[in-house]
Amino acid sequence: MKPTKSDRKVLIAFLAPAVALVVLFFVIPVIYVAVVSLLKWNGLTSAEFKGIDNFVALFKDKAFLRSILNNVIWAATAAAIQVPLAMLMAIILSRKPKGWKFFRTVYFFPQVISGIALATMWRHIYNAESGLLNGLLRLVGLGHLATDWLGGMDTALPSVLIYWVFYVGYYMVIMMADITTIDESYYEAATLDGATPFQQAIHITIPLIKGTSLLTCVTLASVMGLRQFEQVYLLTNGQPANTTSTIVLYLYKQMQTGNYGRSSAAAIVLIIVGALFIVTIRKLFEDHKKDPKRVIEKEAK
Amino acid sequence: MKNMKKLLALVLALLMVVSMAACGAKKEESKEIVINFPCIWVGTDAKAPYMAKLVEEFNAANAGSIKVVIEEQTDYQAYRDKIRTLITTGNAPDIFSVDNPQELANFSATGKLMDFTSALEGDWKATFNDGCIDPYIYENGQINFLPFESAVIPLVYNTELLAEVGYNEFPATYSEMMEMFAKLKEAGYNACGQMAAENAWSSMLWYSQLVASIGGPDVYKNGLEDPAFVQAAEVLREMYNYTFDGAVSAAAADVNGHFIARDTAVYINGCWWIGNFYKEENAVDGKLLADVVDVTGAPTWEGGKGEGAVVTQAQAFLCAAKQDDPAKEAAIIKFLQYITEPTRISEWEASSGSMFFIEHEPAADLKEISKKFAAVSNEANFTVYTFAQSVPLAVTNELPAAVSALANDVVDAQGFVDMLIAARDNA
Repeated sequence: MKPTKSDRKVLIAFLAPAVALVVLFFVIPVIYVAVVSLLKWNGLTSAEFKGIDNFVALFKDKAFLRSILNNVIWAATAAAIQVPLAMLMAIILSRKPKGWKFFRTVYFFPQVISGIALATMWRHIYNAESGLLNGLLRLVGLGHLATDWLGGMDTALPSVLIYWVFYVGYYMVIMMADITTIDESYYEAATLDGATPFQQAIHITIPLIKGTSLLTCVTLASVMGLRQFEQVYLLTNGQPANTTSTIVLYLYKQMQTGNYGRSSAAAIVLIIVGALFIVTIRKLFEDHKKDPKRVIEKEAK
Repeated sequence: MKNMKKLLALVLALLMVVSMAACGAKKEESKEIVINFPCIWVGTDAKAPYMAKLVEEFNAANAGSIKVVIEEQTDYQAYRDKIRTLITTGNAPDIFSVDNPQELANFSATGKLMDFTSALEGDWKATFNDGCIDPYIYENGQINFLPFESAVIPLVYNTELLAEVGYNEFPATYSEMMEMFAKLKEAGYNACGQMAAENAWSSMLWYSQLVASIGGPDVYKNGLEDPAFVQAAEVLREMYNYTFDGAVSAAAADVNGHFIARDTAVYINGCWWIGNFYKEENAVDGKLLADVVDVTGAPTWEGGKGEGAVVTQAQAFLCAAKQDDPAKEAAIIKFLQYITEPTRISEWEASSGSMFFIEHEPAADLKEISKKFAAVSNEANFTVYTFAQSVPLAVTNELPAAVSALANDVVDAQGFVDMLIAARDNA
């Protein structure tokens, strides 16, 4: 049915506040950042137009290139490891095994703890001299593996990534909520056909959440990975030798030195990288049909 | 009924009078000038107790007319970011401090800071050390920055640990010091504290000392291309062999902790740390840290240009926001004059160990370590600012990356300096 004139007015009235907020807090700031990215400006004195000089300088800076690579690693790790782990936990817990409520709470609990507290705790765990990790290694006779986890060139990035990867509670809860909406009859039919729980997960659960919560979680996790700042800032501040730096940390440091133009240029690159990532993720998931029956039929074939 | 109405009218009239009087009182109250002061000298800072005392006393003495409100800031980097952002957005706090001379010219150029020129025309200027204000007057010709806290950064060593490896005096040259470092390491001690996390503070101070000893007083005028920077980096790399495990990811607290725990022999930091030498909580077996340490200037670099170099730092400049209200400007100046009054500075020095750009009589009860720090400063052939205060901000910010790359052998000494040069040129 075609909306009437009064329908349109109502639609506009409902949409206007949201659109106004998006324009005010997203569109205008992005335009502002884009303009500043073309300037040499320290935020205090008058600015000088420099064209694309800031972008050229960015791509000549090894620290920035490393930051882009690290962001891609963060986002890919989130999509390829963190979300599948969360999905695994969601599938297991949604079958409501004994103590599932306890485990659901335990996995979600880190989400309500401040990132600063978590990072501080992990700094202590990774401490080369008195850290829990090296202590455990020494205890089990693997003292030769003890190292300066956050200071080593090969260990710093994996150390920062690993602790973050295991915080799956947020995505797990989203997927659990989705899994509970799947019609029980699919599972009953599959059980009658002799499908194991593993086969049911592969052929029923995953296909049915793929286009909804799984896509949402992969997108969210990738975006979280791309805008990574707190963990890196608090654990390594991008070191050693900028090997753990991220784009947001890089742009923050540029702001600290009063290089607002370069900082804004980095932000524009981040927006472009983020957009590319989201488009790619949606492409990867787009062949999927949301109609459960078609999904099940497709899986059956 | 009529009487009732009269009574009601009377009550209402009374209420109106009382509420109007209350409004009047409120208006009276609002005449109090409130001065906002985001302050870094709070919490565990050695200057915090005396700062709090000064504010309390000032507010009591000016009750009803001026009130200084301290906004506690405990993190230096967060404080720097906050001040910069507030100035950028035209909301400079009424009073604040800046610890980074590289920022001063830009801050001054905003025109948003108070000009102290007329306030200093009286006796107040004489309280500041001769010539310490003029270097910080920029293009607008205004006095926007009052040099307040200074710092000398000598070496402090644990006499007991040195004695264990056969040293009753601190080595006179760097090569002798490195020999001693090797002996200390062999004896199971950390010879020195290094760190590459955060702002690589301790390594930056060691590097500052080395650069000054090798390159002399004009080393920074020659730029990072001066060979002293590479030579100093070579020694800094060697020092990482004699520090504790995990120094690359270590923070200042780790370096301090090792020295307090008596397992690091030589420590470098500024006089603002003196209070910690006397803290009971840092005592081991009933001995204060002050009982087991001595203070010395830098060793000599054979063939270097900087014999007798001492590293210093302009630790804090007092600043204020430009005011439209002359009464508020006067109140701010009154408070700044109050806290920079020489007798108070003497007391502040005695209680915290900090040093100031204010002329004052040394306190009678000045702590022994403070006297030794002052002696190192007095005996210096020349003083030079820390590396962090002598190079552009972009280089300072790149230092942790360069130090961690050097310590991990990703780059050699030349590569270390190249990283700093690239940061400078790419800024």
